[in-house]
Amino acid sequence: MRAAIMAGGALLCGPAAAFAQSCAMCGSSFSPNDPATRAFTWSIIFLLAVPYTIFGLAAGFVFWSFRRASDRPRATIIPMSWRRRPAAPASGPEEA
Amino acid sequence: MDAGSLAMPRRLSPLPPERVPAISNTRLAMVVLIAGESMLFAGLIGMYLVFRLSAATWPPADQPRLPLIVTALNTAVLFASLVPLTRALRTDSTTTRARQVRLTALLGGTFVLVQGIEWTRLVQHGLTLGSSIYGATFYMLIGCHALHVLTGALWVAVTAVLARGDAFEERHPGALEMCGIYWYFVCGLWGVLFPLVYLY
Repeated sequence: MRAAIMAGGALLCGPAAAFAQSCAMCGSSFSPNDPATRAFTWSIIFLLAVPYTIFGLAAGFVFWSFRRASDRPRATIIPMSWRRRPAAPASGPEEA
Repeated sequence: MDAGSLAMPRRLSPLPPERVPAISNTRLAMVVLIAGESMLFAGLIGMYLVFRLSAATWPPADQPRLPLIVTALNTAVLFASLVPLTRALRTDSTTTRARQVRLTALLGGTFVLVQGIEWTRLVQHGLTLGSSIYGATFYMLIGCHALHVLTGALWVAVTAVLARGDAFEERHPGALEMCGIYWYFVCGLWGVLFPLVYLY
């Protein structure tokens, strides 16, 4: 099992460098001093940050709305006893 | 003996309180809509950043400059429209609400009108969608926002017509609030786009 996992990891990690260069617009497309590299970097950072920001704001708004509605009926928490209660007597027909 | 005398008096249990959701369906729908719209504009801003930051000179030398003063005044008009909208959302008077919503629609329409006039002048000066990447990014980004402002202004105008009566209290309880949320989004978006496109 461990050998299979290691083999799978090697298969995934080995050609990672080649995969990273496969995008025509990234990495190898521009020289290090090309301003397009900086432009793409900032654009990628921006596009990475925006979804997290939007999702965080939307989730925060929903969370705040639920916290704000404090007068809503909430589920009652009943403390459960760990001690086993004695069994109730069976209600069968009584013997004469 | 009639049937009424046989009826046993029953003690009716009180009805359970009506469940009011913490966040209404319409408000949740607006959150989803605005999140989607924000992603659309994030993609457009990302596109703009790529061309803006990779260009040696921006705007290109042979392209007309954007009208900064008029657009700044127009921005003030758009932001001023938030004042009557906020008043309309807070007031309890139907008459005041209708008047404030009408004023919001008027200011929004003014913004769209001035933008249209400025665009006509820019096209006459040679800045078109196909003239350069500068024109293409400008019209894509600002045009997409103008389309949203136009939609919002029409929405506010329809709301202003509805606000003349007591429609909000009876049939459309969330109509004004949803319209207001959308208009706040449109104005906030312009607060990002105006510095990015006109000032940066």
